[in-house]
Amino acid sequence: VHVPKKDVAVSIATGHGTSALAAALAPKHFGLLQRVVNHRADYLYVLPALVVMMIVIAFPVYYTVELSFFKTPANLQMKDKIFVGLDNYVTVLTNESIRAVTVNTLIWTIASTFFAFLLGLGAALALHREFMGRGVLRAVLLIPYVVSAVAASYVWKWLYHSDFGAIGALAVALGLTDKPINFLDNLHTVLPSLIVVNIWKEFSFAMIMLMAGLQTVPDQLLRAAQVDGANAWQRFWHVTFPHLKNVSMVTLLLLMVANFNSFIIPWIMTGGGPAGASDIWITQIYQLAFGRQRWGLASAYSVVLFIVMMTLGYFYVKALTRGDESRAG
Amino acid sequence: MSTAARKPIDWWRWSGRVFLLFLLIFTVLPMLWMVLTSLKSQFAAMQYPPQWWPAEPTLENYTKLLDPSNSVGQEFLRYFWNSLYVSVATTVIGVVVAIPAAYAFSRFRFPGRTFLFFSVLLRNMFPAVVFLMPLFLLMRWMGLVSTHYSLILTYLTFGLPLSIWLLKGFYDNIPIQLEQAARIDGATRFQAFVLIVLPLSTPGIIATSIFSFIGAWNEFVYATVFLNTKDSLTLPVGIQRYFAEFATDWPGVMAATFLMSVPVVVLFLVLQKYFVRALTEGAVKS
Repeated sequence: VHVPKKDVAVSIATGHGTSALAAALAPKHFGLLQRVVNHRADYLYVLPALVVMMIVIAFPVYYTVELSFFKTPANLQMKDKIFVGLDNYVTVLTNESIRAVTVNTLIWTIASTFFAFLLGLGAALALHREFMGRGVLRAVLLIPYVVSAVAASYVWKWLYHSDFGAIGALAVALGLTDKPINFLDNLHTVLPSLIVVNIWKEFSFAMIMLMAGLQTVPDQLLRAAQVDGANAWQRFWHVTFPHLKNVSMVTLLLLMVANFNSFIIPWIMTGGGPAGASDIWITQIYQLAFGRQRWGLASAYSVVLFIVMMTLGYFYVKALTRGDESRAG
Repeated sequence: MSTAARKPIDWWRWSGRVFLLFLLIFTVLPMLWMVLTSLKSQFAAMQYPPQWWPAEPTLENYTKLLDPSNSVGQEFLRYFWNSLYVSVATTVIGVVVAIPAAYAFSRFRFPGRTFLFFSVLLRNMFPAVVFLMPLFLLMRWMGLVSTHYSLILTYLTFGLPLSIWLLKGFYDNIPIQLEQAARIDGATRFQAFVLIVLPLSTPGIIATSIFSFIGAWNEFVYATVFLNTKDSLTLPVGIQRYFAEFATDWPGVMAATFLMSVPVVVLFLVLQKYFVRALTEGAVKS
């Protein structure tokens, strides 16, 4: 495939606009068709991936939006669905439980993200210096991130067990409480308990990202700062931290998206209970769709969630592709 | 950073060590408790205060799960095999499809390329539940419910954007001059790709493979919706159904979660370097 020099230059130039997406979509210059024809062979490489993605991504998104305007029968024979306009959206947004669920979702997402990031940052800074056993330690800390969330949920469910749980017994043995705490059946302790599990599972992701980010901090700069009399904190704040900004943004966004979408830990450990105290958006949607077979309503929920995610996604792509377009092929 | 040794006490270093010790305990204790519990009889596990160390350690929970002559073992091995089959198939097909796409994204500038690339990336933003309902109907329509094809197809699609993204990062790092040299020597573009680029991107392929294998092995949400027959279940769903049936067999569940974790943890420990690279590739650029 012949790639004319001029075209390369043009696509780089268009990619630099404020919205690269819009730039790619809009026929910025005369002869777009000509360029498509010139590059027709290139599409062959992407075609297999695209076809599969179309079936399994474009169709579901379209279908979810469609279903959200219908009342669906409980037997899931979709030919019997009834058009109800925006009714499902009205139900979603005026539902009395939506406030509690949204608050839970926000607490869950923000607390998990914040603490996972904080622990990850601390670990990355502490692990940055070479010492004996550093590699082993890093590997061990990463294990929770690798194991299945189902496994993690059962292990922690057992740790939190109201009668025979190790944590409750430990608290009694250390004299912190008189009798074992019922972590998961208490309206006030259930959400924090689940958040701890989530942090356990994902803090090492933040750690590994930030460790990679720390490697981009030039050593000379740190030494220069030291020569100039900067103390450890000043070196961190004025030299290290600015270099971590980009990685931190991406890490925080990825954690946020993952937490917003997480389902397994609350579902396996409590199923959203007790009395909805650990119900988040995803568990709510799942319960509506597969517990109560109300797919129209669940679809409307999904669409609202989807819009929130797309907003986050916009920032994710922006943070991620910064500088990507300058690499020409 | 060696200059820190000059100071009498480096508080930063020491607080760092204390912090790491705390994290190590936080990480390891739950896993340790899982293993210790799996070595107890059901009776020994359900005691208060708990036996911190199993008084009469037993392997009965493991032998029960791994023995094909009883029904529990039969099911467990079946689920294990199902998980393995789905994960390997997903990984192999995924890598084969992702390689040409990633190469195209890295090397060619075709109209709409940026847009295509973003649509690939944005997939990672979609919550699984958005896809759950339509895909279930799609699978039902295609007659794939309770078959492993439904899972392979789904994992494949959802793994692809990430695989393409990871592999593209690796291709970006292979100098295009190498290919150009091969082309000058008379190789076709395809030959240059197969003979020069593919071997050089082996680390990328390994990294991508571990990632999609672990992802498929651990997946629960789609598996729990798509699989309805007992024989078709994968491990995460199988363990959940088992627990729903025998809610007090904690040592058995701990043994099962241990066995379920072994393949991914071993894979991760052996190929750690690639895994870490895959995790950070793309997100960290100088």
